[in-house]
Amino acid sequence: MAYSLWRRLPFLLLPLFALACLLLPGSSAAEEERINCAIQEGPCTRSAGKRTVTLNILPKPVEAMQELTFRVELSGEPPSSPPIIDLDMPAMEMGPNQVRTKAVNATVFRGTGVIVRCPSGNRVWRARVILPDQGQADFVFRVRY
Amino acid sequence: MFATDSVYLIFLGTGFTVGFGHCIGMCGPIVLTIALHLKDRPSLVPQLFYNLGRTATYGIMGAVAGGLGSFTRLASGMGGLQQGVMVFAGLLIAVLGLGMTGLLPVGRIFANAPPLSGLIAPAMRRLQQSRGSLLFLPAGMILGLIPCGPVYTALLAAARKGMEADSALQGAASGMGIMVSFGLGTIPALLLLSRVTEAKWLKHREWLYRLGGLAMLVMGIVFMVKGFRY
Repeated sequence: MAYSLWRRLPFLLLPLFALACLLLPGSSAAEEERINCAIQEGPCTRSAGKRTVTLNILPKPVEAMQELTFRVELSGEPPSSPPIIDLDMPAMEMGPNQVRTKAVNATVFRGTGVIVRCPSGNRVWRARVILPDQGQADFVFRVRY
Repeated sequence: MFATDSVYLIFLGTGFTVGFGHCIGMCGPIVLTIALHLKDRPSLVPQLFYNLGRTATYGIMGAVAGGLGSFTRLASGMGGLQQGVMVFAGLLIAVLGLGMTGLLPVGRIFANAPPLSGLIAPAMRRLQQSRGSLLFLPAGMILGLIPCGPVYTALLAAARKGMEADSALQGAASGMGIMVSFGLGTIPALLLLSRVTEAKWLKHREWLYRLGGLAMLVMGIVFMVKGFRY
């Protein structure tokens, strides 16, 4: 009796396994629409107030769980303090993960940080470049796991 | 990154807010499984032990990250272990869920399955008969290794704190402090979730209990798939 039930078990589990695969969220269509930066291909430019902000992340491909270099280039006058980069996912709260940048020259800044991996499979991340007292620019992009 | 006196409070608060969103989604199935598995017995103490076990693991990981002063070294070292724990957690949830549905006598099946009888039957018997809450402490410690984005973020802060520390020991202490604060912050949300299943109307309606078992089974399989894909 028990042995025949054991043999029947895969037939119960297979459809459930398929259902589970379908339930895995990954990145939703709404999140895909938010993507405004092809960071895997090169730097992206957005505006923040009267400035343009160009963000690049190296090395390529941009992968989670490894140390990354964030390079921010600003147009216009040198800012009063270096920009800060907030890293999070648009879809869920991941806790405070900030990259502090240091000046390379008057308008170029660089800092290191890590984008963590989300076991949900969601790969859409946001880097919010904050210019103290001057606004912010959001870069939404896809990372590799 | 943060002032020393505020970093622990920041991560206590982070744990609290993340707990009500992210953790309920990730650890919720485990919490519900514990509560439903205990059925007629109160689950508050076992849940507390599970959460303390989880927080202890976070503390140990924080100490290692802080001591090393590196997140990536720790993460690369424990990636495989975390994947295994996630698959194991999924298997555990699925098996207990299957038992709760009453569709299959899980204990008997595993006891009679020739290739698995020696390995799984004693563990199943132990789980089904477990009366002592203390068992949930090591269970929480193991399940605390499940990969989780906000845990990684807190570990990043622990590693950064370690980099700024004067010695590895000081770094380890700071890292442990950050992770313990984070873990403690996540407990209220998960305890609250477990209280929902304490409602008598929920546990004493057999069909609802079985439906919960089916949901556990699906969640367990989702966990396993995520674990294999991780």
